[in-house]
Amino acid sequence: MNPAGSLLEARALHKAYGPTPALDGADFAIHPGEVVAVMGPSGSGKSTLLHCLAGIIRPDSGTVRYGPHALTDLSDARCSALRRSDFGFVFQFGQLVPELTCLENVALPLRLNGTKRKEAERRARDWLTRLEVDDLAAKRPGDVSGGQGQRVAIARALVTTPRVIFADEPTGALDSLNGERVMGLLTEAARDTRAAVVLVTHEARVAAYADREVVVRDGIAREAVGAA
Amino acid sequence: MSTTTSTSGGGLRGWARDLGMGVRFAVGGGREGWIRTLLTALGVGLGVTLLLAASTIPAIQAHRTERRLAATPTEADGPLAPSASTLVVADLRTQFRDRPLTGRMLRPDGPAAPAPPGVAALPKPGEMVLSPALREFLAEPGNALLRQRLPFRDAGTIGPAGLAGPAELKYYLGSATLSTDNGGVRVAGFGAERKSEPLDPQLLMLVIVGCVVLLMPVAIFIATAVRFGGERRDRRLAALRLIGADARMARRTAAGEALFGAVCGVLVGAALFLVGRQFVGGITIWDTNAFPSDLTPNPLLAALIVLVVPLAAVVVTLLALRRVAIEPLGVVRSGAGRRRRLWWRLPFPLGGLALLLANGGTSGAQSVVNPFLIAGGATLFLLGVTLLLPWIVDAVVGLFRGGPVPWQLAVRRLQLSGGAAARAVSGITVAVAGAIALQLLFSAIQGDFMKITGQDSKRAQLEVSLPTHDVATIRKMTREYQRTPGVRGVIAAIDTTASRPGPLRKGEPFIPSTSVTVGDCASLSELAHTGPCKDGDVFIVRDHTGQVDDSYIRQTARPGAAVDFAWPDRTGQPPRPRLWTIPKDARAIESRPDPMGMPSFGLFATPGALDTALLDEPQARAMIKIDPRFPDAVEHARNTAARIDPLTSVHALQNMERDAQYASVRTGLLVASTATLALIAASMLVTMVEQLRERRRLLSVLVAFGTRRATLAWSVLWQTAVPVALGLVLSVAGGAGLGLALLRMAGKSTVDWSVIWPLVAAGSGLVLVVTLLSLPPLWRMMRPDGLRTE
Repeated sequence: MNPAGSLLEARALHKAYGPTPALDGADFAIHPGEVVAVMGPSGSGKSTLLHCLAGIIRPDSGTVRYGPHALTDLSDARCSALRRSDFGFVFQFGQLVPELTCLENVALPLRLNGTKRKEAERRARDWLTRLEVDDLAAKRPGDVSGGQGQRVAIARALVTTPRVIFADEPTGALDSLNGERVMGLLTEAARDTRAAVVLVTHEARVAAYADREVVVRDGIAREAVGAA
Repeated sequence: MSTTTSTSGGGLRGWARDLGMGVRFAVGGGREGWIRTLLTALGVGLGVTLLLAASTIPAIQAHRTERRLAATPTEADGPLAPSASTLVVADLRTQFRDRPLTGRMLRPDGPAAPAPPGVAALPKPGEMVLSPALREFLAEPGNALLRQRLPFRDAGTIGPAGLAGPAELKYYLGSATLSTDNGGVRVAGFGAERKSEPLDPQLLMLVIVGCVVLLMPVAIFIATAVRFGGERRDRRLAALRLIGADARMARRTAAGEALFGAVCGVLVGAALFLVGRQFVGGITIWDTNAFPSDLTPNPLLAALIVLVVPLAAVVVTLLALRRVAIEPLGVVRSGAGRRRRLWWRLPFPLGGLALLLANGGTSGAQSVVNPFLIAGGATLFLLGVTLLLPWIVDAVVGLFRGGPVPWQLAVRRLQLSGGAAARAVSGITVAVAGAIALQLLFSAIQGDFMKITGQDSKRAQLEVSLPTHDVATIRKMTREYQRTPGVRGVIAAIDTTASRPGPLRKGEPFIPSTSVTVGDCASLSELAHTGPCKDGDVFIVRDHTGQVDDSYIRQTARPGAAVDFAWPDRTGQPPRPRLWTIPKDARAIESRPDPMGMPSFGLFATPGALDTALLDEPQARAMIKIDPRFPDAVEHARNTAARIDPLTSVHALQNMERDAQYASVRTGLLVASTATLALIAASMLVTMVEQLRERRRLLSVLVAFGTRRATLAWSVLWQTAVPVALGLVLSVAGGAGLGLALLRMAGKSTVDWSVIWPLVAAGSGLVLVVTLLSLPPLWRMMRPDGLRTE
């Protein structure tokens, strides 16, 4: 792991939930256009690391730098603004707003950023087409399959052209065929837009799409042996 | 085949097994199961508390009345002779700011005189026994003026048996001088019989409709509460389907879970009621409060509540699941896809109106009111309003497109589950519709129960009765009032009667007499159109309206004629004449009602013209003008009155006076509607928090990709406000419809539409309160914890 020229960098992160430490001095760095898989057993602190990197939760100690910004020093409002403009998210499940159509779901981050509805929906439709789910535009999340829903979620993560995409077990709820399709689309689209991808997974099959792997164990992140 | 039969078995055994399984799910469902049961139990518990409280209202009224009557001196059929067991009593009514004080002066004739209920021993002269509430009230730092008014030694406490309620400000004052000659009444003891009057038909109609209006939202609230956590429960039931349960079994199992929650709710409600009634003494709503022991639920109503609430939970759950298909692989809500139908909803309000109108009129006091028709009609109508609401919410929100993100989130949510939103606000819709109908009826019939007193509170604000016949004392009192801080002026007059001197003449049934009023020019000008006036003037005041027979004045009050002020004494001996000659220059003038609205006629004399020593048994009246800018001016005047004589009564002039029955019905309805509105707010809040809990993960995701808190807060506001706004529109329409039907029954045609707006404002205020109270849980649920899956 080489922090020089990194887009997003974390140093000596500590985070505990009550008496249980989730991160115990974790370091991490990712470069523009790079796909990094964060692996580790259940409860090892992978998701906590992702949440700290994205500024969703504040570590107890340590720093997270994104370009010129120290995320750990930013206010909640500034962090939220940064997440709206520069970051994209894909989660395992339950991420699409059930009452909005797929098109409205994809357009939502743009609209939260102040883009007019028509323009937001035009760009959202482009992304749905690119992810081969444009026929789902008018459907609600409850009416589409898990794999289709994840593609919609990826479209939503990419619609703002983010610089970093955080994907937390994006294929965890999918069968292997759908999982591979989703991963292919995610990494391909990320590379096209030069977005860095922080990919939390415990599946080696999924991690194979990454440029390198980081293993989190007992709250400490280490570069995986043999990784690129 | 045999397996299918055993799982889907109907009959009582099947029901018992499925309901029992639901109960086991509720008990053994882990943290989630318990939270859902707790929410339901709390919601149902609140409703049950209110129902139990409502069932105690007759007992509260009865106990308060019983104690009040027990403390009322027993009226004797004729004059009582003093004996060792009699006492003389006199009422001392006063008020401190807006709190009325009940006092009674007592003087025993002998050692065996009974003490009033709740009093261990009669207070000695200069002592008082008082209620605990009055003792506390007297001790409050801002009540120094009241302490000056009651400077008597504290000799004991009035027990609960002598008080209508724990907050009653009451005292008994011992006296050495009270007699039947100076305002007292001799009695042998305490305890009065209840004189029951049948309730006016219009008031009876108000009470019936009021009960329906106030209890329907509670019923709706309970029905909503048993569905708390329903979505999560349905997902668990899908798992049950996967292992072989059929749809009917799954529905019954759900009903079993709701049944358990409802039974817990009944227990919670009973516990809340028992705990809450210990604190009821500290709460006074609209001048009514009660002892904890007064809150005894009517046994029949209590039994009904205990049985009906759990039964309703089962029925509501089964009905709610009609539109939900619990399949082995998930839950499908058919409601979103199916349009709600109007045709079966409309007959309810129309049928209700028909029943109400079938009752006929209640405009006369002798009219017959059919309580079943009115209660049935009002219930059907308001039920119809709640049934129309989901259809209206669906129809209207279906028209909305676009808009800002918070609006879009709210509207889409409403489009997907408008029924849940409508359920949440149906309580408020019914309450406001009912309240509008009641207020329309109130405003229309209040004229029948409000009496114009004729008093003019602009000319004077207080009327004082002076219990003395001594002119010197009357003058002294008048001077004392004039010196009282905050008093701008005193209209004081001494009244007596003068008759034509000499014996009864042939053909006369009685000796002609006239009233005589002595006062200074300023005071007399308030009683008659005196014109120019100076001390020493005399006036003859005649009626100019032609409505009063003042022929007696013409026979006695003639310029230059003599009049006699003497009254026969009790011995029946002819009195010594007290003659006075009316000056020849006495002017005839027209009468003018005094600030109390009473006209005065006869002889009016200024003090320089008539020696008041001549007057026999004179009486005084005084009306006081207060400086409204002077703090506590009224209390200073009352203190002066009490200092002169505790028996002096002071009362504020009122332009209108309300009928006591009407006032108590209105008070009762106000008390109950306050409680209902509070319950509705609680219901909406619980529903909102429950919806937020179900969306916890989604909220965390929205926060993850940078959604502003304000965006979600606005979305919550719109999500509450849109159905409430639609509900209020329906309430106004429904309330006006019901109100007009009630007005027609009452034979009234005047409609005061202005009564609608405060209720609409109260409903809108609830939206804001609920939204504001939803924000802390919303902020809590927007934490990233919801993203954690491990």
